[in-house]
Amino acid sequence: MISHVSTQPRNPARVVVLGARGFIGKALLARLLAQDVPALGLSSSDIDLAAPLAAEKLAASLKSTDAVVMLSALTPDRGRDIATLMKNLAMMQSLCAALAKTGCAHLVYFSSDAVYSFAAGRVTEEAPAAPPDLYGAMHYTRELMANTLGSVPVLILRPTLVYGPGDTHNAYGPNRFRRAAHKDVKIQLFGGGEETRDHIHVDDVTELTVRCLRHGSTGTLNLATGRSVSFREVAQLVARQFAKRVEIVSAPRANPVTHRHYDVVNLIKAFPGYRFISLEEGVVRCHTETAGAA
Amino acid sequence: MARPLIGFAGMTHLGLVSAACGAEKGFGVVGFDPDASRIASLKRHELAVSEPELDHLVAKNAERLQFTASDGDLRGCDVIYIAPDVATDDAGRSDLGQIDALLERVFAAARPDAVLVVLSQVPPGYSRSKQRGGRNLYYQVETLIFGRAVERALRPERYIVGCADPAQPLPAAYRAFLDAHGCPVLLMRYESAELAKISINMFLVASVSTANTLAELCEAIGADWSEIVPALRLDKRIGQHAYLAPGLGIAGGNLERDLATVIRFADEHGTDAGVVRAWLANSRHRRDWALRILHEHILSKVHDPVLAVLGLAYKQDTHSTKNSPSLALLTHLHRFRVRLYDPVVAASAAGHPRAHSAKSELEACDGADALVVMTPWPQFAKIEAQDAARRLRGKVVLDPYAVLDGRAWRSVGLDYHRIGA
Repeated sequence: MISHVSTQPRNPARVVVLGARGFIGKALLARLLAQDVPALGLSSSDIDLAAPLAAEKLAASLKSTDAVVMLSALTPDRGRDIATLMKNLAMMQSLCAALAKTGCAHLVYFSSDAVYSFAAGRVTEEAPAAPPDLYGAMHYTRELMANTLGSVPVLILRPTLVYGPGDTHNAYGPNRFRRAAHKDVKIQLFGGGEETRDHIHVDDVTELTVRCLRHGSTGTLNLATGRSVSFREVAQLVARQFAKRVEIVSAPRANPVTHRHYDVVNLIKAFPGYRFISLEEGVVRCHTETAGAA
Repeated sequence: MARPLIGFAGMTHLGLVSAACGAEKGFGVVGFDPDASRIASLKRHELAVSEPELDHLVAKNAERLQFTASDGDLRGCDVIYIAPDVATDDAGRSDLGQIDALLERVFAAARPDAVLVVLSQVPPGYSRSKQRGGRNLYYQVETLIFGRAVERALRPERYIVGCADPAQPLPAAYRAFLDAHGCPVLLMRYESAELAKISINMFLVASVSTANTLAELCEAIGADWSEIVPALRLDKRIGQHAYLAPGLGIAGGNLERDLATVIRFADEHGTDAGVVRAWLANSRHRRDWALRILHEHILSKVHDPVLAVLGLAYKQDTHSTKNSPSLALLTHLHRFRVRLYDPVVAASAAGHPRAHSAKSELEACDGADALVVMTPWPQFAKIEAQDAARRLRGKVVLDPYAVLDGRAWRSVGLDYHRIGA
């Protein structure tokens, strides 16, 4: 549940996006600038947050009136080991040290649904965090680190699986399926693809983030659509975008079937009337935009 | 012996209903409240409480029913009930300050041989902490149900009485009053009686929470809870009178208070209250049933929609809006235009910035994109589907409690939704 510090939306003085070259960061920066929100994007090429003296360097770039969005992280495709965990924590340590020095008007920390266990199929913000792996533990620890900044209003966003054009990752889901269908005319599912998941379009993620920034929202919010579908349905949806018949094949399953459904009532309360991009619409849009860019 | 004179201290909902019903049973009754303006209103038969038959009983038994703001009038009473409504906060915690003060005042005003009975809902341990040497203090479980308070007070299923020593017989005057109601009287120690009250409510919450859980599953898999219920009622272990009607979470304040009390005591004593926390979580979840459906069908699709909301009270036949699902829903609809109607509660109770106060159910429907029935007032069942359909702009009808005849409303082309199907 989140609460809006400003009931009427107003632009922050400036938004600093850390991790601005990543999938979400790039899209967020573009949306902020398109909506005339003053914004500064920083990436690891500007400041390596895991490096020594990163805190001082970052502090020099920040103002106390900034809203800061923390998206910098080494994602699971870059490693799931202890060394990756420690680097990610070092990055957050640098941010916290910088903010302790400069302060800021608003901190938005991009966490992940990896903080939740798969023990229950339905997830709300009230579900206890019980990360099943180091990646989830990393995000949860970083949430706690953010909340040690006593004077800084903190918003934690926990997105579900994000898809859309510009995705630099290749996680199991719409983007990987589209690439596979394009390259091999074949989509491979684990087992029958029975697992249900909630997929949110990157445009919804960035739009909701901008709204949170404008309201100075604090608390914890899951970014999900409230509609979960099986990976088989996603594969079929992606396959339908291609003129050629795309084969959907099954590979041996490595993990047991799990389901995840989000109850997004807190999001509905925070942003009444918000209309999500449906998965059908999003997959079509993604396919069209990617084809146009190719 | 002559019929004892019965006093009731605290003329809010519980005390007033109990006093009126005591008079109806033929006893002389003194209704005391320290609030002189409240007593003045009662003397004019202006009741701040809405309960079926209550106005009639107060008027009918006026000769036997004396309202007073003077505690000296309690001196003649043989039995005095201490019966103020105990307020709760948002977390369900009781504010015992008022009953503490009233009890002290009654102790001081009553004859030393008078029987004092705490009727208000109090946490385990309360009665023994108030017991004092040489005085007769009892705790009696109240089972008031909003909207059925008179019926329950006149024809109780049983009396549960908490005593300092349950092996001792009840004083004659108290026994005479209880016996006049012709039901079993169960004596037990104070703590057992205080927990018995909570136990009753816990079983009701368990039933409703189970019904809510399964009704939601029905909605997801194409089953219909209303078809399952008769099968459950024929099972003797569940029974004809079990609470099997799904709803929009726990409301009214009393059940929430008991849940909070059990959790507090369990935490203090290290016993398990996990299931109680789960009931609370389920209640919060179900409360938003209407908001979820509205969002899916209207709020995320229609520009600047208008919503007709029937019912503001937390349930039918009451003026109470404590934890009302309707008001909870309206809190999240401030951005949207709403047209409100309740037979008893004024639209202003919603505190909604874009509310229109309708004078009737059908007027509320005028030009609305959706109709939401948030309180199961019986009169709403009489709304003709055809009439409503003509006046609504949209087709979505939410009827969580199945007050309306779903088949008839669907037959006129409306998109009808209820809990459990």
